[in-house]
Amino acid sequence: MAKKTYDLLFKLLLIGDSGVGKTCVLFRFSDDAFNTTFISTIGIDFKIKTVELQGKKIKLQIWDTAGQERFHTITTSYYRGAMGIMLVYDITNGKSFENISKWLRNIDEHANEDVERMLLGNKCDMDDKRVVPKGKGEQIAREHGIRFFETSAKANINIEKAFLTLAEDILRKTPVKEPNSENVDISSGGGVTGWKSKCC
Amino acid sequence: MDQSVAIQETLADGEYCIIAVQGMLCEGDSRQSRLLGLVRYRLEHGGQEHALFLYTHRRMAITGDDVSLDRIVPVSRDFTLEEVSPDGELYILGSDVTVQLDTAELSLMFQLPFGSHTRMFLQEVARACPGFDPVTPDPEFRWLSRYRCTQLQSQLPTPHGWNSAPGTWPGCARIGGGRYPSRNGLWGLEEARSGAGSVLFGGGAVDQTGLRLAEVARGGGPLWGRSGRRGRRDEEVEEAGREMSAAAGSRERDSAGNSHFDDLRPNGKGLLVDQSSWGQDKPEDLLPRQNKSKSEITDMVRSSTITVSDKAHILSMQKFGLRDTLVKSELVQKEEDYTYIQNFRFFVGTYNVNGQSPKECLRPWLRHSVEAPDVYCVGFQELDLSKEAFFFQDTPKEEEWFKAVSDCLHPGAKYAKIKLIRLVGIMLLLYVKEEHAAYISEVEAESVGTGIMGRMNKGGVAIRFRFHNTSICVVNSHLAAHTEECERRNQDYKDICSRMQFCQVDPGLPPLTISKHDVILWLGDLNYRIEELDVEKVKKLIEEKAFQTLYAYDQLKTQVAAKAVFEGFTEGELTFQPTYKYDTGSDDWDTSEKCRAPAWCDRILWKGKNITQLSYQSHMALKTSDHKPVSSVFDIGVKVRNEELYRKTLEEIVRSLDKMENANIPSVSLSKREFCFQNVKYMQLQVESFTIHNGQVPCRFEFINKPDEQSYCKQWLNANPSRGFLLPDSTIEIELELFVNKSTATKLNSNEDKIEDILVLHLDRGKDYFLSVSGNYLPSCFGSPIHTLCYMKEPILDLPLETVRELTLRPLWTEDDGSQLENPMEIPKELWMMVDYLYRNAVQQEDLFQQPGLRSEFEHVRDCLDTGMIDTLSASNHSVAEALLLFLESLPEPVICYSAYHNCLECSGNYTASKQVISTLPTFHKNVFNYLMAFLQELLKNSAKNHLDENILASIFGSLLLRNPAGHQKLEMVEKKKAQEFIHQFLCNSP
Repeated sequence: MAKKTYDLLFKLLLIGDSGVGKTCVLFRFSDDAFNTTFISTIGIDFKIKTVELQGKKIKLQIWDTAGQERFHTITTSYYRGAMGIMLVYDITNGKSFENISKWLRNIDEHANEDVERMLLGNKCDMDDKRVVPKGKGEQIAREHGIRFFETSAKANINIEKAFLTLAEDILRKTPVKEPNSENVDISSGGGVTGWKSKCC
Repeated sequence: MDQSVAIQETLADGEYCIIAVQGMLCEGDSRQSRLLGLVRYRLEHGGQEHALFLYTHRRMAITGDDVSLDRIVPVSRDFTLEEVSPDGELYILGSDVTVQLDTAELSLMFQLPFGSHTRMFLQEVARACPGFDPVTPDPEFRWLSRYRCTQLQSQLPTPHGWNSAPGTWPGCARIGGGRYPSRNGLWGLEEARSGAGSVLFGGGAVDQTGLRLAEVARGGGPLWGRSGRRGRRDEEVEEAGREMSAAAGSRERDSAGNSHFDDLRPNGKGLLVDQSSWGQDKPEDLLPRQNKSKSEITDMVRSSTITVSDKAHILSMQKFGLRDTLVKSELVQKEEDYTYIQNFRFFVGTYNVNGQSPKECLRPWLRHSVEAPDVYCVGFQELDLSKEAFFFQDTPKEEEWFKAVSDCLHPGAKYAKIKLIRLVGIMLLLYVKEEHAAYISEVEAESVGTGIMGRMNKGGVAIRFRFHNTSICVVNSHLAAHTEECERRNQDYKDICSRMQFCQVDPGLPPLTISKHDVILWLGDLNYRIEELDVEKVKKLIEEKAFQTLYAYDQLKTQVAAKAVFEGFTEGELTFQPTYKYDTGSDDWDTSEKCRAPAWCDRILWKGKNITQLSYQSHMALKTSDHKPVSSVFDIGVKVRNEELYRKTLEEIVRSLDKMENANIPSVSLSKREFCFQNVKYMQLQVESFTIHNGQVPCRFEFINKPDEQSYCKQWLNANPSRGFLLPDSTIEIELELFVNKSTATKLNSNEDKIEDILVLHLDRGKDYFLSVSGNYLPSCFGSPIHTLCYMKEPILDLPLETVRELTLRPLWTEDDGSQLENPMEIPKELWMMVDYLYRNAVQQEDLFQQPGLRSEFEHVRDCLDTGMIDTLSASNHSVAEALLLFLESLPEPVICYSAYHNCLECSGNYTASKQVISTLPTFHKNVFNYLMAFLQELLKNSAKNHLDENILASIFGSLLLRNPAGHQKLEMVEKKKAQEFIHQFLCNSP
């Protein structure tokens, strides 16, 4: 009773211009599905997904934000408390890429100092309509010292990988309390106590 | 020392103290020792209820006389006992465990000693909690009425008895309140058995009102109970609500000023508090309200039937690792999906060694099979018959026999000892092949003593474990001896079955008993004898190897057949001669004085699926004891995990739980998210409504403030209601009310503010929705500064917005420059229009300025002024008079400028000085003042008809022309009087 649970909760945030596919990225990750109809997110939505990393159960609480310009002053207030931020642009939309530096400034101004950032170039399945070369994404990510993936929510490319990488990066700098030894994890078979020392 | 024994002595039949722990009751700075006993009561119709009995006690309690009952806390649905970390203190390993006990009525804090006993106690309490399962009925705790009744009878005649109405039980009558009075009652009582002192609600508290009692029960000070905390939150909510309504109210007053236009305002603002489900009681009735809202909440919760969402709701709480529990139970349900059956060889042996040390090699017994067993379960009885072993639970024999067994295990494999457990002379050893050790988990060992006081050398020990995915329990028991004690043996068996309970890693799971295992292997000296045959006859049959015939007289066989014992167990055929009783060191039957008849005392039984017995035999070669050892080899089908399938199943379960949790995030749909208010006019309410349609999760919604903003929307907007609670699939209509008044009009005229806003509709524990508000405002002379209007030769609505903006922003004191260029009017034409209208039509009007106008007519007056169509003005005199007052009130800078306010008050009464002050006003303001005074004097000439006098007019216009620069603060009477006096002078004297 009253045992602390050792699950970690990571709060992640998706930001970027309207229409770059933030909601689809989240929907692919949380429900492994894709919806072609575009419904602009007018507000803040979130979903949870539990993942296991390095033997630890981690609950990701992922916040999806409205990308429309007129909501920016409001959405920036949700940055605080986020442990990871995914900044998404659309490789078929040059403007969404140009705005990256503005979004990064927003993060600097409004998010926690130690927030883990990641850049995603979404819609990489639409190579025929590509206007942002992969190299440019890599370059700007390098300049800011953040990770970069080209993703496709539609074709399910790199979505899971991106989230897990971000979660791992956060986990790496999270001081993890060692679980109480009484809290034996059955799956690891650790229930055998002391047999090694008394082995005959 | 187990103090539950002492508690048990005080309990009634049917009540059983499961476990007791001694702790410190912390109230404020005081620390008092209490004995906490968890008491179980089995109901007649099945099921059980629990209560926590708190005792004061002297020394370490050994008998019932050492303890006296202090209070009883029923383990009801709202009972929680949680470990808390004291504020601001670092957790130190080995320090006391602080636990918080909360029920609906009380909150107590205890410090319990660090260690496994406390942990076990907390686990037991957790098990005892009724849980959230809606199928099981609410506990009623009828059995506790015994304590209540004794109490009532014994207490009423005493001098400090309860003064409340006879026949009612105060604790219940006063605090119950809700739907479950019997459950919610506080089980306080005075010490019933002996001695005085130790009173729960002692002294004054009991004869006070119930409210006082509740306060006492909470322990006061820092110990706020859960209900207390909730109560405070309610207060805060209500407080906030009241402030909001007050603020709204003041806005209302401001907007209408001293005029009678209150009914022009939408009165929605004042309703905020009433809409809230909390704030229905008067604030002074604090405690009753808490109780009421508590029971309301309870009712609401109970009437809810969505169990899935309940479950999911629990999921989102980071408590008790409930998610883990759900995952585990789902894994159990889906076990077949990811496991297959694989046979493992088990060796099971039992040997009553009659207190001897190992003298012979045990190989003939342990190593008789060719193949090396995967698992060894080896049991001994009568390991040590000495008094030392009995009293001190310590014996060198344990190590001797353990070594003897370990040395003689099958050489074909390496074995790992998993567990050894011993109760006096009953010892059980469990080994597995080394390579299987990684698949052994959840190992627990327990023992149960039977016989008188449970302390005799009879009883059983058991080891339970999980081997791959199969749960296995091995029991070694030594049951009561002697032929005639057959019933006692049966009873020993039952006692072992009922009292053998294993701790589980997860306290959320029900207690594990022997019967809850996939495989049970039961071995031991069961001591069942051969009945009805004399010794010689038995021996003869044995000689003839007529074991089948003999078996018919075996007590165990007949008792099992009669279903008196070992129900559901199987035993293999007895093909070996009885294993008891031999002369030590020989194969000869007992030749002692007692000359015991031979019997199959030593047996091995099993229960479970996929078990095949390969052999069942005794081992005559061993002669150390008066018993012969028995062994049996089994092939047992164990559920083995396919790791890939297991991961897949686990993944699926986690996904489905995530899905459930996601589905349980409150979510609504809105009928409209963009709101456009066209052509908004001064003081003309516009309403746009939309519907919130809730999804499947009950939720609380609220418009929340945006960052750095004081309220959730602009001042000219209001959402009604702005917060509320939605049941699943229900809807609510929200009205967005837009109303521009004097405090917001000027900035809308100047375009410093626009009809533009974003509202954030927040769902508790859920999403946020953004609502966009847009529109345009039609500028009005209302809210425009005097000098601005003087420069507007055209009606305000005929001017380009840009001109209106520029003129509105023009500073007051630059008039001279402007006058040369633009040749402004001396006073605002709109003012002239209204005054002229009144001069022409209303100088003789009775009660002018004292009767309210009509809302519709005000709008008409406003439109006429703003469009310059004064010729079409047709309104009642009262409405125009009202419009004039509103106009003066809406001026951002009053007629007598703020800067002159204090000067005016100072020279009030000195007409010359007063005139001097007026002369310092900006020209337009001076003009307006003089113009108005002239008009008012004109009215006074007709006082015979219109019944106006200087005092009435001074009081009406005093506070309009002279406004305190500090703003909305309520003026003091003195200040008001002086302002009136100031105006009064100008009405009495000709300019």
